[in-house]
Amino acid sequence: MFRAALSASRGGICNRLLSSLSGESNVPSNLRIPPNLIGVPREKKVLPSASDLPVLRRCEENIPAHLSPVQTWLHSLESQDSEPLGIVDLHPDVFAVPVRLDILHAVEVWQRNFKRISYAKVKSRAEVSGGGKKPWRQKGSGRARHGSIRSPIWRGGGVAHGPRGPTSYYYMLPMKVRVQGLKVALTSKLTQDCLHIVDSLEIPTPDPHYLQDLVKHRQWGNSVLIVDVGEEFPQNVLQATETLKTISIIPAIGLNVHSMLKYETLVLTLDTVKFLEKKLLWHDSRFTALYPFKLPYSDWP
Amino acid sequence: MAASFRSVLMTLSPGALVVRFLHVLRYDCLSVFQSEHSNVGGKGKVVESTEEYKFVERLIPPTRVPTPPKHEGPTPSGWTPPSETPPNLPYMIRRSRMHNVPVYSDIKHGNQKSTIVRKVEGDIWALDKDVKKYLQQLTGREPPTQVNEVTGSIRIKGEFDTELKEWLVKKGF
Repeated sequence: MFRAALSASRGGICNRLLSSLSGESNVPSNLRIPPNLIGVPREKKVLPSASDLPVLRRCEENIPAHLSPVQTWLHSLESQDSEPLGIVDLHPDVFAVPVRLDILHAVEVWQRNFKRISYAKVKSRAEVSGGGKKPWRQKGSGRARHGSIRSPIWRGGGVAHGPRGPTSYYYMLPMKVRVQGLKVALTSKLTQDCLHIVDSLEIPTPDPHYLQDLVKHRQWGNSVLIVDVGEEFPQNVLQATETLKTISIIPAIGLNVHSMLKYETLVLTLDTVKFLEKKLLWHDSRFTALYPFKLPYSDWP
Repeated sequence: MAASFRSVLMTLSPGALVVRFLHVLRYDCLSVFQSEHSNVGGKGKVVESTEEYKFVERLIPPTRVPTPPKHEGPTPSGWTPPSETPPNLPYMIRRSRMHNVPVYSDIKHGNQKSTIVRKVEGDIWALDKDVKKYLQQLTGREPPTQVNEVTGSIRIKGEFDTELKEWLVKKGF
């Protein structure tokens, strides 16, 4: 997200740096790039124009009449320098939805908290051992009046308003909100040049360095999340990503907003795109559940 | 089968009833299959068949809202399909999942009525201007509106849902 802001304002920053060299300092201090910064500036991605190349994949779901599909490049993982294979159509209701950051935030917070059970528990004055007897008589001893040695104001006494027992922070956001969060995350990744479509995950070697060099050469970012459909993944990719921390592979059913925000780049296969479009668009035109969707319906699954 | 139906009717909630119904019938079909495999032979008095299961299958509901059949103009119930091509305006108002115009009425404190137009895409301020102009012609005064650009909805003070629905349908949304 920050990189997108950088790339958008790179021209502006260069102009402003020149002006600062000439004596005026217009650039805010947090945006000033040091001149000895190591690293190649990211190449601007050329958007596939509508005219030239053939579209290798059309959307299977119906697209509303007033919208047109979003287009992006189709890459291959065969070799480091391979050119994009062609253009791919993506459904606008999954990859070009209005970016609702509030929904994205809500889904991310839900994902973090709904599994949380905090086990913190402290003893209250009733649970601390002892303290049943009045320590000294009410009047006449000269000391302050007390009823038990384990009251909260005593040293060694119980805690007055401490955490009480395992507390669960479980709550469920509506299904459609969670689905919209996924769509917003996919849209954000696509518009910020962090989404790449790949035809298949076949790589020539199981060497993790191959993947790292490929990612570095293509400037895909610091961390990559590869998503594929199905139970079987090619062995080479599995071995390559096993030891790597910044490049991970997950099945399409495991795609979630938190992972998409944690990893900088998202790599989807064509089958994954088809699966995601089918599953996410079903929610736009489904009835409300008469009984849980786990049970059989006539056209589900 | 009669005993199983009676036991089904004892349960209260519709979801649980459907669940028990499906479970019971699935169990019965399983027992039918088992007995077919166990070679009872043609001599027995009881004849089991699975052809009647189609009556169960047609009761199971679908999940997707069906697309309505093609109609030219309004139907006898008053529903009008959206126009084939989207109208040539800077904004677009999609239909709801039940193919209705997304105009809803709202009430606060029992007397303050408002109308909400949802699912607006494109230039929402142009729609706001058009709505205000139309309601000025209708009522003679411009109603206060609240435009929410993030969600793509407009809240109008006053109860204009039928008028706005007809207006939007006439525009072709």
